[in-house]
Amino acid sequence: MTIAEPTAIAPAGARFEPGQAGPDGQDGIGRIVIDRPNDSANAIDPPLLAALSEAVSAARDARPAGLIIVSAKPGQFVAGADLAMLTQKLSASEISVASRAMHAIVRAIGALPFTTVAAINGNALGGGFELALACDWRIAADSPSVRIGLPEVQLGLLPAGGGTQLLPRLVGLPRALDLILNARRLSARRALRAGLVDEVVHPASLERAAFDRARAGRKRGLEGGRTAMDRATTWLAPARAIALRTARDRVTKETRGHYPAPYRAIEAIATGLAHGIEAGFEAEADAFGELATGPVARNLIGLFVLGLRQRRGALSGLPKSKAPESIAVVGAGLMGSGIAQSASLAGMSVRLRDIDEAAVTRGLGTVRTLTEDAGRKGAVDRREAKRAIARVTGTADWSGFARADLVIEAVFEELTLKQRVIADLEAAVRDETVIATNTSALPIADIARGARRPERVVGMHFFSPVHRMQLIEVVRPTAASDEAIARAVSMGQAMGKTVIVVRDGPGFYTTRVIGVMLGEAARMLDKGLAIEEIDNAMTRFGWPIGPLALIDEVGLAVARHAGETVATAVGATPERNAVQLLADAGLVGKRGGEGFYKYEGKKRVPNPRVYELLGSSGRRPASAELAPLLTAVFVNEAVRCLDEGVLRSATEGDLGAVLGLGFPPFLGGPFRYADDYADVAGSSLADRLRGYADIAGPRFAPAASIAAGKVFYP
Amino acid sequence: MGRMRQAVIAGGWRTPFVKAGTDLASADVLELATVATAETLARTETTASTVDEIIYGNVSRPVAYHNLAREIVLALDLPTSIYASSVGMACASACVAITDASDHIAVGTADAVLAGGAESLSNVPITFSPSLARALVRASQSKTLPQKVSSFAGIKLSDLAPVAPGIRETSTGLTMGESAERMAAINGISREEQDRWALRSHTLAAQGTDDGRLGKEIVPVRRKGRVLSDDTHIRRDSTLERLGSLRPVFDRAHGTITAGNASPLTDGAATVLLLSEERARAEGRTGLVAIRAYAYAAVDPADQLLIAPAYAIPVALKRAGIALSDVDLIEMHEAFAAQVLSTFRVLEKNGAGEIDEDRVNVMGGSIALGHPFGATGARILMTLANEMRRRDVQFGLASVCAAGGNGAAIVLELLR
Repeated sequence: MTIAEPTAIAPAGARFEPGQAGPDGQDGIGRIVIDRPNDSANAIDPPLLAALSEAVSAARDARPAGLIIVSAKPGQFVAGADLAMLTQKLSASEISVASRAMHAIVRAIGALPFTTVAAINGNALGGGFELALACDWRIAADSPSVRIGLPEVQLGLLPAGGGTQLLPRLVGLPRALDLILNARRLSARRALRAGLVDEVVHPASLERAAFDRARAGRKRGLEGGRTAMDRATTWLAPARAIALRTARDRVTKETRGHYPAPYRAIEAIATGLAHGIEAGFEAEADAFGELATGPVARNLIGLFVLGLRQRRGALSGLPKSKAPESIAVVGAGLMGSGIAQSASLAGMSVRLRDIDEAAVTRGLGTVRTLTEDAGRKGAVDRREAKRAIARVTGTADWSGFARADLVIEAVFEELTLKQRVIADLEAAVRDETVIATNTSALPIADIARGARRPERVVGMHFFSPVHRMQLIEVVRPTAASDEAIARAVSMGQAMGKTVIVVRDGPGFYTTRVIGVMLGEAARMLDKGLAIEEIDNAMTRFGWPIGPLALIDEVGLAVARHAGETVATAVGATPERNAVQLLADAGLVGKRGGEGFYKYEGKKRVPNPRVYELLGSSGRRPASAELAPLLTAVFVNEAVRCLDEGVLRSATEGDLGAVLGLGFPPFLGGPFRYADDYADVAGSSLADRLRGYADIAGPRFAPAASIAAGKVFYP
Repeated sequence: MGRMRQAVIAGGWRTPFVKAGTDLASADVLELATVATAETLARTETTASTVDEIIYGNVSRPVAYHNLAREIVLALDLPTSIYASSVGMACASACVAITDASDHIAVGTADAVLAGGAESLSNVPITFSPSLARALVRASQSKTLPQKVSSFAGIKLSDLAPVAPGIRETSTGLTMGESAERMAAINGISREEQDRWALRSHTLAAQGTDDGRLGKEIVPVRRKGRVLSDDTHIRRDSTLERLGSLRPVFDRAHGTITAGNASPLTDGAATVLLLSEERARAEGRTGLVAIRAYAYAAVDPADQLLIAPAYAIPVALKRAGIALSDVDLIEMHEAFAAQVLSTFRVLEKNGAGEIDEDRVNVMGGSIALGHPFGATGARILMTLANEMRRRDVQFGLASVCAAGGNGAAIVLELLR
């Protein structure tokens, strides 16, 4: 398929329907109905663009009294561009064509001599919202399935159907920058408050309301925001310059310049406001072509698509399973209450247990706080937040556990304790209840040793904080049944998380790869490197947090334990390293106020005691090679996991690393990065690793697949 | 109709009973009801979607809830298909909830019913005077400002005072305490007898608490990081001397009723799960206690307001086909010590039999534990059922008197 000539494409997916004449002879209200065949999301592709173009022409010729744009898909307006269009190998100019086709439609709708209204019955995202923006008015259904926004930047793109031009003119520059750069997706009510839509009505009244407004409404000019301040920032060059500069600075601070899309979006907005909307459209189209063919968008879109496919992929080879309706959680600490909270928000009823009333009450308090926050931020409706809080009950005994379809133990990471909890659980739950153990490193087979029914014991590795982290690593011990694994996967997916399934073993996948990298980072201290030099090099490279700061976050005891577990996993004897030294010296990490850094309030400074303990100068700066080296160590270990069968696929390895460990998303994940390595770094990954191995030892020797030059995404 | 099915109590739990205006003052009645109900569901290991119905009692009803029972379903996000009704018979409201539930199960319209009651006497609905209330309604219905203003014409200063819920019997003009004074006088119950009964109530309640029997029926209420797990009325320092030193409240000159020998104002909720016996057995549940029979009776409030249980009890026993002497345990609501002792006298006088006091309220009663109006009936039945199981005795009897001259008596049977 080519999209070079939109006119050559058979139009499909939208039609114009002239309105019936009214009772007193006046013209009726026409409708453009969007109904892309075989796509419940109504994603925009070239045939749909062609059909929209024809429909708008037909409307112009029919001259109805007004026009409403509706979707024929229940609960779904138009979800944005079809990503399949962008994953083909097209040139920048070929891709720009689609943007220009959308501009033509936006322009044509704007030029219609009658009132136009978009009836938003579901997601109006990206191109879908741009279509709505082209209309005079927008009415949204008051339904949880409605999300409105221009989230393209999240995929390394920019709104290229006129969004960077129309949105600032509708709501003013400051708000438009916030919405576009943060890729916000607003609920109908929040969209109303932000001025993105003009009215919110019950879904059953939506078409009636749109019809009434098309008849009674007027054409509308865009003034650049509701307040004088908004309009001044939008239209007065000096004020605008300040707003744009502030936005650029913030992007640089947050992304360290690894992501071009936000800058291009700001640039398109700036061009349009300075030189007119047509110049802005041009800037959009050019930027879209360039971004879409660049590596960052390709990797981000790639990850997004992998994530969508993983919903099915996670269950591949497993029996169908229903998500549990009722679960129970043992351990009401930060992890346990986080799991309880996420599960209850997903609609499950949750029984949360800890050993005494005080602990239970604290845990329920955490659930309440997190859920109320979600309500305040608009992530969920406030009434739903209240119900979610009520779905969680607490107990200091085992009552209510026989109702649970699945139980998760999230007690302290200590083998004998976890074994005892499994025994208690087996006495408290039904025979068919799945028992999941939340651990970041302990082998599930060890925890399940002594279980009466080991076939129903699985690992579910949650990441902290649970309500924000998108990943769950389901760990499969050999004894576990397919049904039990499938139940755990369904549970994770019902919580809205991406689930990967890995084989049991010390550190599984995620803890093992991050552990190896953290261990390597700790060794660098022995060579006299400065703490902040190591961390800064890694964050500059694109990691969200430096490795030593990360160790402080998880705590030295946990890090040490994980490190030892992982060392056994990779066949090394645990050696004395900085983590052990610090832990032995009684340092706790961030929670104790002192680890690799000293923490005072929000400030942190490198801890001089670390150098004393290590007998190191701590003066050496990091070389440019440090971050690529540590990242290569990470990638190499990930590939070993695939080679050994710990991972089922490169896809799961990439999703796990990006969503669970903060592997830089613009690199697409460790396997994608391995494939691209020669392009990015100028030499093959195998050669680079061999080079490290020659200097620093055989632990850097390339994994078998890397040595063999395997391509993970052919 | 064929043979009726039998309803069994599968389990029941309550919140701690807490002195009104203290630790639970900021919890509204719905919150109390949801705690008791959620925990009863959890502790009976019952999946909410298998519950047919909720029936709930509440006396001093907040104006916000037209149907408290239904609000429980919605607040707990139970399946919306669970229909729910709120019932009222003053202090016997939860008895009505439970016997209604039993009837629904008996005739086969339900298999699983949550029944109980709740009361927040810290939060009684205070209303406007009728004339001010009518003026407000008129104002809200009128369209123009002058009309709105004129709606308030004729409102007197005295109409602005808020009105608290009635504490006097409408038909007699007597307060509950005054009515109890009458009963004491008619039946010749002395002050000392009353104080002795009150002391017994506190002593036995303290024992029941200390040996864990009462604690087993209590689920904690967790509020703002605090946990409340204990009944707060029980007085361990009570003595006959101290009780004797209290001044009569309702009849200062000749009275016998004091704050010490009457039940106090209380916040709390209690819920029990009733199942059809077939279902309970199919689920492998044990320790089932059946609702064997029940009876309600009513008397002229101007005579002995709280004596109706003395008339309901013989009927309930007759329906159960047993005699008073067959009953191993009795739970009798203690509105006033005078009312309990009057009930004994009247039962005996009417030839229903003599009550063995050792079998009555073996863990104390409402005087020591407290009396959240809507919840008391459910508390009494769960306490009775639990103790019948523990002692492994066949028959138990519960009775509750109520404002307006109503009374309830329910016979339970431990199934083996």
